Amino acid sequence: MNQIDRQAPLSTDETRRKVIGLDSLTKDFGSVRAVDNVTFDVFAGEFVGIMGPSGSGKTTLLNILSLLDVPTGGSYRLDGVETARLTEAEQVVIRREKIGLVFQQFHLIPYLTAVENLMLAQYYHSMADRGEAMEALDRIGLADRADHLPSQLSGGEQQRVCIARALINDPALILADEPTGNLDEGNEERVMGLFKELQAGGRTIILVTHNPDLGAQTDYVIRLQHGRRVA
Amino acid sequence: MFVRMLRQSFAGNRKRKALAAITVALSAALITTLFALSVDVGDKMATEMKAYGSNIRVTPRSENMPLIIGGRDFNPLRGRDFIDEAGLPKLKDIFWRHNIVGFAPRLTLPVVAADQGSAPEFSLIGTYFDRNVPLPDDPGYRTGVRTVNPFWHVAGAWPADEAGDGPVGVLIGGGLAQRLGAAVGAELALAAPETPLATAAVVRVTGILTTGDIEDQALVAPLGFVQKLAGQPGKFQSIDVSALTVAENDLSRKASRGAEALTPEEYDVWYCTAYVSSIAHQIEEAIPGVSARPIWQVASGEGAVIGRIQSLLFVVSVAAIIAAAMAVAALTTTTIAERAAEIGLMKALGAAPWQIYLLFIGEAVIVGLAGGAIGVVAGYLMAQGVGWSVFGTGVDVRPITVPVVLVTSVITVLVGSIVSSREIASLLPAEVLHGRQ
Repeated sequence: MNQIDRQAPLSTDETRRKVIGLDSLTKDFGSVRAVDNVTFDVFAGEFVGIMGPSGSGKTTLLNILSLLDVPTGGSYRLDGVETARLTEAEQVVIRREKIGLVFQQFHLIPYLTAVENLMLAQYYHSMADRGEAMEALDRIGLADRADHLPSQLSGGEQQRVCIARALINDPALILADEPTGNLDEGNEERVMGLFKELQAGGRTIILVTHNPDLGAQTDYVIRLQHGRRVA
Repeated sequence: MFVRMLRQSFAGNRKRKALAAITVALSAALITTLFALSVDVGDKMATEMKAYGSNIRVTPRSENMPLIIGGRDFNPLRGRDFIDEAGLPKLKDIFWRHNIVGFAPRLTLPVVAADQGSAPEFSLIGTYFDRNVPLPDDPGYRTGVRTVNPFWHVAGAWPADEAGDGPVGVLIGGGLAQRLGAAVGAELALAAPETPLATAAVVRVTGILTTGDIEDQALVAPLGFVQKLAGQPGKFQSIDVSALTVAENDLSRKASRGAEALTPEEYDVWYCTAYVSSIAHQIEEAIPGVSARPIWQVASGEGAVIGRIQSLLFVVSVAAIIAAAMAVAALTTTTIAERAAEIGLMKALGAAPWQIYLLFIGEAVIVGLAGGAIGVVAGYLMAQGVGWSVFGTGVDVRPITVPVVLVTSVITVLVGSIVSSREIASLLPAEVLHGRQ
């Protein structure tokens, strides 16, 4: 753990600082190779798209990047630290300190209100602060829906709450898995606008999508097919 | 936030939480009932066992071994030690006085029927039937063989303890009545050859007595009459004491070798527990010069029966706890499976494993307390039902039952939850949140 500075932001003015470094990364599920020898780097402040058809290994790759899964082979260095050497407890710390996750299915706790879902992320990070959580909801235009349960929110509203939750602890790296997959066009534009604002704020964003229009809005796209990087 | 999560979790999963609480409540109700019965059954059974007669016999310390053959006491009265009747109220002055159900003094005098010529002697037993023995705190207290020996069966009427007009009323044992050809209402002239005065007296039979013991071959008369006939006013030979006792155990068995065999700590525990031996010991302390001995056939029989019943209730209680823990474990396993995405999300957000365990354990504690509280109330009612249907009286549910059952319920739920919470550790967020491609 001594190799990790938990407080050091990944995005700084050193825009060429390497945040993610993958080298020949491989992931097998039994005899099936989901990620096959993938290599790429992501630098601080970049907005990178990962695209590919269903079954191409996009989500598996994102799970590895977010430390929710471990590779079978190759190397994944996060902020200069070889993640294979991290203990589970150290991975938990990095997830809550440095990574914000946005899910296609939102994954809001159904019995907690919008603001409480944000406060849950604060609670696991440090301390729940309703005022701060309300400000976060206000920034995404949902302050008036703060005390609504997820079931009382539209899909677009739930996704915005999910994004607000991913940002509430000010992470430097945002990993989004098909964040607009369940949204209409209007909400899709709104979410992408949010991501661009975050990039402008210096955050590094990796967006998994199969939508070429969304991919076109990123700095560059990494394309996968059958687990391999093809572009 | 933790409290908020608990509250919202309960608000959002009312049915499942209610189901878990009901499972615990059923177990807690059963435990409450069995625990209450287990604690109270000793008293209840001891009371029931009093129907089998006295369990302590008090005699003068220097008294010889009893020599009673065929219902006749062959120990001569002359030269014997007696107990002073004035000391009887002291029996109700000992530490365990409230456990003394009753007592009956006894003075036995060999007599012959004066009009039967060379007929063999038989015993005339003087005792209290149901006599008032004024106590400092209970002037109306009554006791006698009717209390101590409720199994005595009398065909006819019980005699009065106090002398009235005409011949003294007596009970005649069934065997003796047959031998003498005496029936209810018959008058018998008695001679007591062993007494210094060789007094003769006439008694009237008020009832035929059946006990299955030596009284079947004897006359049973008021103590005062026999004392007068024997020339021993205010004296008697022994006291039969009926006391409510607890089951014997290793400590009381050790004490039966003598109180000096106990350590000071053991002595305190033994003295302050209603063992038949400690009550006998306290009687000896209260009435100087007497020896109080448990009638072990009765005392050990009580102890064995009560001990076995309590063991049975304990085993059933443990079975109920195990069943409840298994039910809760199954319920928790299902809950964890249903809330897998939630748990995976918590892990993904950076929750430490203990924070997730804490949530589930917190929920378990609340379910355990709620179920336990409901169970205590239900168990109290069930215990009363069982008490009335089996013993004809309510069961005394001790206050200690409440914390014991609540703690047991919480531990039961915790064990059930912890066993199934291992699933939490093995849950991979990648699987439950994204699925794998």
